[in-house]
Amino acid sequence: MSRVFLSLAAVILVLDAASCAKRADLQTPPAAPQKSSAAPAITLWEPPADLSARNLYDGPWGVRHAPDPKDVYTFVEHKHSGVNIGMDVVDSRGREWSVKQGYPSGLDSEAPVEVVMSRLLSAIGYHQPPVYYLPSFTLKDDWGTHTEPGGRFRLKEETLEDAGPWSWNENPFADSRPLRGLLVILTMANSTDLKDSNNSIYESRANGRTERWYVVRDIGSALGDTNLIAPRKNNYPAFEQHPFILGEQNGYLQFASHRLYAGLVRDRITREDVVWASDLLSRLSERQWQDAFRAGGYQPQVANQFIRKFREKIRQGQDLSRRASAQ
Amino acid sequence: MRQRYLIRCVAAGIFVFLATWGNAVHAQETPATHGLIREPDFIERAVIFADRRQGNGEFTNGFYPDLFNMIPGAGWISAGPGYRQWYAKDRAFVDTSMAVSWRGYKLIQGRVELPTIARSRIALGAHYRWQDFTQIGFYGTGPESLEANHSEYGLRSQNLIGYAALRPFEALSIGAQIGWLSPSVRPRGGWFEGNTADTRTVFPANPVYAVPDQGTFVQREVSVTADTRDFPRHATSGGLYRAAVADYDDSEGVFSFRRYEAEAAHFMPVAGSRVVIAVRGWLVGSDTSAGQSVPFYLQPSLGGDNSLRSYADFRFHDRNMLVFNAEGRIALMAHIDAAVFLDAGNVAPRVSDLNLDKRSYGAGLRLHTRQQTFGRVDIARGDEGWRLLFRLGDPLALSRLSRRALLAPFVP
Repeated sequence: MSRVFLSLAAVILVLDAASCAKRADLQTPPAAPQKSSAAPAITLWEPPADLSARNLYDGPWGVRHAPDPKDVYTFVEHKHSGVNIGMDVVDSRGREWSVKQGYPSGLDSEAPVEVVMSRLLSAIGYHQPPVYYLPSFTLKDDWGTHTEPGGRFRLKEETLEDAGPWSWNENPFADSRPLRGLLVILTMANSTDLKDSNNSIYESRANGRTERWYVVRDIGSALGDTNLIAPRKNNYPAFEQHPFILGEQNGYLQFASHRLYAGLVRDRITREDVVWASDLLSRLSERQWQDAFRAGGYQPQVANQFIRKFREKIRQGQDLSRRASAQ
Repeated sequence: MRQRYLIRCVAAGIFVFLATWGNAVHAQETPATHGLIREPDFIERAVIFADRRQGNGEFTNGFYPDLFNMIPGAGWISAGPGYRQWYAKDRAFVDTSMAVSWRGYKLIQGRVELPTIARSRIALGAHYRWQDFTQIGFYGTGPESLEANHSEYGLRSQNLIGYAALRPFEALSIGAQIGWLSPSVRPRGGWFEGNTADTRTVFPANPVYAVPDQGTFVQREVSVTADTRDFPRHATSGGLYRAAVADYDDSEGVFSFRRYEAEAAHFMPVAGSRVVIAVRGWLVGSDTSAGQSVPFYLQPSLGGDNSLRSYADFRFHDRNMLVFNAEGRIALMAHIDAAVFLDAGNVAPRVSDLNLDKRSYGAGLRLHTRQQTFGRVDIARGDEGWRLLFRLGDPLALSRLSRRALLAPFVP
């Protein structure tokens, strides 16, 4: 009996140690993001030196990693988590894709938003996995081949390994401007699903180098309002009506953000953070904005509405700098 | 009676309010794309809320609220936790849930299934179900049973079943199952009891009460089902056509019988499914050897939420049953349908005596997502007066077919 108990205790200790190691991985920040051949570089954001040249239609991974709209995709399994329907599929080249489709009702589809937000964030220096949008695709399953409603296609890229989630409050960048700037941009987009489990650490291996990317993923709950229950997503009238900055208190800005995640930006974001993020976004050209929304499958007239509102918010952010100077 | 309806209505209002309440100050109504009237924002948000909770439906892993597993008569709402997990790239799943209803009906069930053997052509599974139903109506046997003889009984049962399905085509399923059922007829109980008499008091001579304990049943069933409905819980097109024969072998040797069923439901969309015409017919026949009878809790029954809506749940019992439902739904708003319906049917000791003499008609409202009707209000009128129903789920969802377990009592 005691042997069984000791074995069980040992197993629990091993599991707990593994769990602690994983937690420590999240909780122990290095002194600064580092790059060396020994330890993988840890990055959240890299200055977008070539921002004006970036292709927001194909995205940071380019057309080479894009799904072929004419391909036949073989069903692997249904998506088993989250609120969106979807599935995993394999294309004719053996590449595996996670497909996030729209809601059955057709209301508030996250898939196009996720692609647009991914394009915007990657353009200004935040790492993103390869995601694309297809309006429909051909699916082969046990019952034959048929056309399936499309959605967001995320490639399970061999050089990119998901190493688990990261926490908004405990990470190597917790007090950095890029992290606060990221929160500003997500708030600007009225993101309503900022839970830690939507953040992923990716281990990127390319050219003999390994990097640990801190990535915001599943960012399709945006471009609507921030209602506590059933917030709208991908809904221009709601996005248009929802304010951005409400005021300033004790040197920190107050936002009309989702109540569940208001703590992430409360007493954290300064004018300088908003100006920094707004300046970055303002460097995107009209063509790049259009391409980002085109990548998400938006019609130009709908895209123009969202872009106009985004630009309004960016101007509001940049105005903070001018007002500070005036004061 | 009026107070009870008032309580139900207030509770329903609170439920909808809580589900949709939020800071709508900044929201704006989106034009409804479907329906005669522009849909208010709070209704659309309720639909979005329900849609997101639905997620990937039965493919979602983890905990879920079990809201639709009870039988008619359990009360206007039932709820409990459920947990489902898929394994090995959708080759197997385990599902378990428990629920308690307004009237104190309790249910615990667990199911394991391998649904994709031989490229989805074969499914194998097992289902266990424990249930304790406390206020099941019984008015006596036969089409002339009196409303005044309303009685109630409790039924606690365990059921274990193994099943297999052969699917040569996606929409066609040839099923076979073998199960074990252990029922126990008990005095009525539960919550919100009225002054209804116990069945043993009103019908002391019924054969069910002639034996000290109910035996156990071994049930064998084969069935053929073609199901082309677009969304079973809110069908707007397609149909379901089913034939089944089941053999119930009683260990005590007094209640062995054979049951035959034929059922067809068809849904016809009109004007881009803004209008849906639904029709359904269901015939159930029983056959016994000499000296055997069908216990009242397994007799085909008629009346209630999904059959004759102006009649009480389980209003009529006999060896055979026929029911016909016709329902027309029109999209009032994008997610609210107005419905008119006509139900007709009867029970009889012989199949040849069946007719459509018991009728009810009425109108109602359905709150639905694209996939699922999750709330309805019906007002029905028939020979025994008016009846107001507030229920979760669609009246023609035929959800009893998705339960693999052998249902006791017989559920119309």
